[in-house]
Amino acid sequence: MTDATLTSRPARRAARKPIDGWRWAGRFFLLFMLIFTVLPMAWMFLTSLKSGFAAMQFPPQWWPAEPTLYNYAKLLDPQNSVGQDFLRYFWNSMFVSLTTTILAVVVAVPAAYAFSRFRFPGRNFLFFSVLFRNMFPAVIFLVPLFILMRWLGLVNTHGSLVLTYLTFGLPLAIWLLKGFYDNIPIQLEQAARIDGATRFQAFLFVIMPLSTPGIIATAIYSFIGAWNEYIYAYTFLNRNDQLTLPVGLQRFFAENTTDWPGLMAASFLMSVPVVVLFLVLQRYFVRALTEGAVKH
Amino acid sequence: MTSSKFGRAVWRGAVAAALTTSLVAQPVLAQSVDVSKWSPEYVRSIAGTEEFDTVGHCNSVVPTDYEGRLTFWYQGIFEGDPEVMRQNYRDFFAAFRATYPGIQLEEQGITYNELLDKFRTALLGNAAPMAIRLQILGGTEFAAKGYLEPLGPEDVGYAREDFWPGAMKAVTWKGTTYGIPTNNETMAFIWNADIFERAGLDPDTAPATWDDVVAYSKKIKDELGIAGYGMVARQNAGNTPYRFMPQMWAYGGGVFDEADENPTYEEIRVNSPESKQALQASYDMYVRDQSVPISALTNTQADNQAPFIAGQLAMVISHPSEYARMLELAAQATGSDKEVADKVVESMRYGLIPTGPTGRRAVVFGGSNIHILKPEYVDGGTVDEQAAKALICMWTSPEWSLKLAYSASNPGNLGGFKTKWMKERLDNIRFLDVTTSMLVDGIPFPALPEAPEIMNIIIPDMLQNALTGAMTVDEAAENAAREVEALMGGGGL
Amino acid sequence: MTAATSSTENTIKTKRQRNTLVSQMWESRIDYAYVLPAIIVMLIVIAYPVYYTIELSFFETPPGLQLRDKSWVGLDNYTIILNSGVFWKVTWNTVIWTLASTFFAFALGLGAALSLHRAFIGRGVMRAILLIPWVVSAVAASYVWRWLYHSDFGVFGAALVQLGWLERPPNFIDSVETVLPSLIVVNVWREFSFAMIMLMAGLQTVPDQLLNAARVDGANTWQRFWHVTFPHLRGVSTVTVLLLAVANFNGFIIPWIMTSGGPANSSHIWITHIYELAFGRQRWGVASAYSVLLFLILMTLGYFYVRALTRGDSTRQGA
Repeated sequence: MTDATLTSRPARRAARKPIDGWRWAGRFFLLFMLIFTVLPMAWMFLTSLKSGFAAMQFPPQWWPAEPTLYNYAKLLDPQNSVGQDFLRYFWNSMFVSLTTTILAVVVAVPAAYAFSRFRFPGRNFLFFSVLFRNMFPAVIFLVPLFILMRWLGLVNTHGSLVLTYLTFGLPLAIWLLKGFYDNIPIQLEQAARIDGATRFQAFLFVIMPLSTPGIIATAIYSFIGAWNEYIYAYTFLNRNDQLTLPVGLQRFFAENTTDWPGLMAASFLMSVPVVVLFLVLQRYFVRALTEGAVKH
Repeated sequence: MTSSKFGRAVWRGAVAAALTTSLVAQPVLAQSVDVSKWSPEYVRSIAGTEEFDTVGHCNSVVPTDYEGRLTFWYQGIFEGDPEVMRQNYRDFFAAFRATYPGIQLEEQGITYNELLDKFRTALLGNAAPMAIRLQILGGTEFAAKGYLEPLGPEDVGYAREDFWPGAMKAVTWKGTTYGIPTNNETMAFIWNADIFERAGLDPDTAPATWDDVVAYSKKIKDELGIAGYGMVARQNAGNTPYRFMPQMWAYGGGVFDEADENPTYEEIRVNSPESKQALQASYDMYVRDQSVPISALTNTQADNQAPFIAGQLAMVISHPSEYARMLELAAQATGSDKEVADKVVESMRYGLIPTGPTGRRAVVFGGSNIHILKPEYVDGGTVDEQAAKALICMWTSPEWSLKLAYSASNPGNLGGFKTKWMKERLDNIRFLDVTTSMLVDGIPFPALPEAPEIMNIIIPDMLQNALTGAMTVDEAAENAAREVEALMGGGGL
Repeated sequence: MTAATSSTENTIKTKRQRNTLVSQMWESRIDYAYVLPAIIVMLIVIAYPVYYTIELSFFETPPGLQLRDKSWVGLDNYTIILNSGVFWKVTWNTVIWTLASTFFAFALGLGAALSLHRAFIGRGVMRAILLIPWVVSAVAASYVWRWLYHSDFGVFGAALVQLGWLERPPNFIDSVETVLPSLIVVNVWREFSFAMIMLMAGLQTVPDQLLNAARVDGANTWQRFWHVTFPHLRGVSTVTVLLLAVANFNGFIIPWIMTSGGPANSSHIWITHIYELAFGRQRWGVASAYSVLLFLILMTLGYFYVRALTRGDSTRQGA
């Protein structure tokens, strides 16, 4: 991505001038985007450092006059009831998200492979219908899904959420992985088969390891989706000890009061795991998209 | 006749014993709380005058050695609520378990905003709890749909006269009673005396009429540049009708004839001249004078607390718990903010809700009721009625119906007003006597299954249409009337 | 190349050459096993609800009766919807919301992708930061933005007043004119990173030789972008735009949590309106009919979406 291919100096100098205008535009743009992105998060964090009273001042205190970690202490303290609730919600979210992620990978990988490699009747139709899931908005299906979960005996269990969340992530996961597999030359499997492996063994030992970035991307996407999901968790779960974090945030809105700093602190803590996870693994995600999403 | 003295003593002893036993075994005293005498002085005079044996009484309804299982939902107490409430709820469940160790209770507290939604969804999937404590606006819908089991105070050994007539009206559908009131409350008018004074208004008197509220609000805005009245007009949240309907009723309007002595709900009055007057008052405040927060359209009452404690809002309508909340907030303030906050707390005053131009005073008669479900809608298919009655007997007893309504409400069972805890409350909770005295002016929402939609959606919609200028006041009221009519006719968008 | 070898694989696989559908399916039964879990999950979670919704759309469900006591009304629900003034207002809102959100999210994403394309110090960090909004929960984001926009105590208003540009805080979400644009900003804030990632991936496939050749030929930056880069992004852009459009059309959390459709229905989009009808007003029949209309629109979008996703597939496989 450098100008190494240009050999003559004058050409390079001449080429540099018109680029500069765009480059500066690019820089300003990035700066603007940075501020745009960070501002709400910064405000979230600053508000979480204030006491209830300080948070509700007009004009607002830009920087907390007396910053306090009280809100965070309350949320993370297993001794008091708020802390117990929060930690339980955290654990529930973690459980649901991890289970969903693992299952999503387990289900999506073979399916994507099959769509990529195999020719069987109805292949295209099935592929389309899997992708089609993306079309349907979550909200519309609340009641019939609730009835369905009831029939399956899954109401008030985390199973209902896992099952539902699976369908959110599967279409994109299958599509992503399929593109990935499409790019892996088939000679590898053929070589394995010639060496005596069954189709399944070839798949498991040769191909799957190569699709690690795709799998990681699927995992990230599923995890984040499950972690942040609100509507279904709200509808399917009633018992306090089962709630996930997004629903738990509602607790800060009692009938007659709103604990804004507490809410902001909880929102912040809720965001931390996914942000960290994502920052650490985003390289894989981008790589997977690059190799899996783009065909030419 | 030496035995006669002895005989008389025995006779007297026997009579005394008979009387005592009959007193204990009888349902809790009925006619001794006289609603017609209701006033702050009366309330004070009857507080602490009687003792009730909750356990003994409930034992006579359902024996304490009963074994069973009960699932129960209620409006829970969470982080935003005062500690005393959290403690009382913990105490109740502990006491219940101690009294009825054989009953396996699975209770679930749900937030106020979510309860109705979740209950409806659960019913659609036949996954409802066996018993539920629901806000007063909700019950009729479910009774009308046939989800609830008939239930009255007599079923747990109390008399109908032990409960407010308005409350009993709210749990009655087509002549049958489907629940028992657990608590009832009415709100009062709150203002900041310091702001009044600085604006040149009498700091110790509430505005007498709603027109005065409009005028005060304008004066405060003009003189001090801060918002006068804390209007609330958000859609889909329960607070708005509780604050707007008193205004509407005071002017002589209403959705139907719910404010009349014996309402029939036949005639739609939301577009009557009186109702339009009430809407006009709000319009004047929001649009013409701009003396209320702009965010009124997205505010709930909770959003008014911030400006109030910061001395940026002069008047609100709310519960006595508002004062407790302000104390809490002020305790967190530091530095120069602390002075401001303390001053606000010091200047808080409670008074009766203003009247309309004709002197009519009204407030929403709020509260909650406890219901039992029919077995086919319950998760598990059966309802343990005895276990439910045991819980309900305890919850609606004078002692517990008071304790579980400690900071924001009042006992549904009128006997609660005579307990020693009532005396304690009156001493500890400032302004409780004011809100309690408003109970007589309480008007319950129409006891119709359509009431939640009317109150939670159509009325706020009407307010928003008028206040945003999307429609004129007239048009907004006519539109609301059309919507109510379509709704009562069974459909419409 | 792959096409040839895969058809060879096929011939190696099938022993018999019978062409009946059933025998083909039987031959491929193990293949089905690979996709079966996915299909089952999707079927369960989609088929029943779709059937239920379509069926319910033909019934009337008055608030005074239980759902099972509903009565058949044929197409009445659809007529009610199409005749209602609110519906058309909400439709207009939905169109604006979807188009504007998609356009700006895509534009910002494209700009960010282009700006981050060349390596510079701190690029990794920058990219990571810009990805945050997508990862943060929509619920948390809605609450924060609601607080930022607050008409009386919000930061934006306070800043503008303190800078002296305005006398009183502007009305972002309490005014019928400005509420939708304000919500669109929040939506774009959340979504642009997705577009950015997709486009970044796409940019990497633009061949350097072409770019350099163009530069040598004297093309300026804009021309290079328009004639070389952009055509290569077409595939990714189509997919991205479609995904964004669908997500926006169905975007529930932001409008619902921030304003619940208010003030005066000016921030209702189809999906929030359906929710209010179903859960707020208990109009299950009408809400179902509304949902069916929504499906129809989405199926149309979906057709293009699936075609775009699988176009590359068929051209490569040569099937």
